[in-house]
Amino acid sequence: MTGSPDTTLAGRIAVVTGTRHALGQGLAEALRDAGAAVGEVVDNALATREAAIAAFAAVASDLGGPVDIVVHAAMPDIAFEQIAFEDVDDERWGAVWEGAMQGSIHVLQAGYEQMRGRGGRFVFVTPTVSMSGAAGLVPYTTAVEGQRLLAKATARQWGPEGITVNCLAPAPEHVPIGVESVTVSLAPPALGGPGDVRADLGPIVVFLAGDASHALTGATLSADGGVWMAP
Amino acid sequence: MIAPRGAGALAGRTAIVTGAGQGVGEGIARSLAAAGASVVIAARRAETGEPAAEAIRARGDNAVCIVTDVTDRASMTACVAATVDRYGSLEIMVHNAFRGATPHRVEDLDAELWTQNSRTAVWGSYYSAVLAFSHLVAAAPHGRLVLVTSPSGVEGSVNIPAYSPVKAAQRAMAKSLSREWGPHGITVNCIAPVAETPALVAAFAANPVLKERVEARTSLGRIGDPEADIGSVVRFLASDGGAYVTGQTIVCDGGSFMGL
Repeated sequence: MTGSPDTTLAGRIAVVTGTRHALGQGLAEALRDAGAAVGEVVDNALATREAAIAAFAAVASDLGGPVDIVVHAAMPDIAFEQIAFEDVDDERWGAVWEGAMQGSIHVLQAGYEQMRGRGGRFVFVTPTVSMSGAAGLVPYTTAVEGQRLLAKATARQWGPEGITVNCLAPAPEHVPIGVESVTVSLAPPALGGPGDVRADLGPIVVFLAGDASHALTGATLSADGGVWMAP
Repeated sequence: MIAPRGAGALAGRTAIVTGAGQGVGEGIARSLAAAGASVVIAARRAETGEPAAEAIRARGDNAVCIVTDVTDRASMTACVAATVDRYGSLEIMVHNAFRGATPHRVEDLDAELWTQNSRTAVWGSYYSAVLAFSHLVAAAPHGRLVLVTSPSGVEGSVNIPAYSPVKAAQRAMAKSLSREWGPHGITVNCIAPVAETPALVAAFAANPVLKERVEARTSLGRIGDPEADIGSVVRFLASDGGAYVTGQTIVCDGGSFMGL
């Protein structure tokens, strides 16, 4: 590696959600490593459409331009708790499912306000466990898979406007759900492990956030060290 | 159309089918009843649910209508309780009911349309599963949960984007629940049908281009019959022969979407 800085995202403005956790924080650092100016939007700001629009506008104002990139890694904390399905009550189901989905809809709508007429990049962070399923995590996996398909459907609508929407699917070790990759596949991780967020997932999120991925949308990249290989 | 009889493969078993007053749900109810199951038609409106049940009884099979709102825990609780009171068991829970297929833009998606999609597809699946659970455990090894999803839950819908996440959510729920409930001998699966239903007929009337595209992409060159083509798949999943299939989505669309 040379000492010359990565300028892939120089001049770009990014919003990252979910930076309370290591995954979102590491992805935000990776965008900064590539030259982007990054604003972090807290979970409370995703509760309503209006709050999300205001929060994104504040980032644009602070960082000197409209938002080009949105990396959405936020998830309500309660979603990470393992629980037997028969013990899930309406309050928990609503907090996980509606919290995750309505937050994601508001992220898209707030990002669209920034990208309309200019194009842009959305990256949803959707761990592979939503595709493999996991006992004890019905609410979480249900919500993540909802987010993944919201991304796909939105990709189809906003493609003509130059807005791409893709999903980055890290290994389950990167979220605090108590699931290891070994439960996802019988084979061990081809690359040895789930990798480091900033060093290993970082270049992938930078690719998805940059010009080079302009022809890619609606895709899910399983960046889990070579475990989940479907399709 | 009368489905071929399943030689009483489901005799002595009880099924609840939500949204069975018409369309795919009615086709599933008719097929399960023809295989000998006692079927509860859980319909939001008696105007559709009662005639659907009566039509099944007129064939010599067993069905009743219980007016049920799948978005309401109390209503679903009452439906399950009334079913078990009447028939003594619940082996097969099928959640099919859905409302909200209104074309829209993501940037304009409002709480009302989202709530329709979310409450019927996802909350309805949650209530179906959680309220049936103890009865499905007791029914081992015959306990079955079937969620009716859609190819749009995998592909992503350009016209009705809110539809895709709620249908995908059902697939994820089936995967995780199959892992969680396998030790109880309960299978959990999805079907992803395309069938000639009132909803599809209306969608095609509103969008003739969609009809052309669907027909052009369908290998078998026809749109499925709710009972003969879709109900029969659920009947298989509910039967002893389906006992080793769990966590899956069976796409029954005449060979259109092949992305699984």
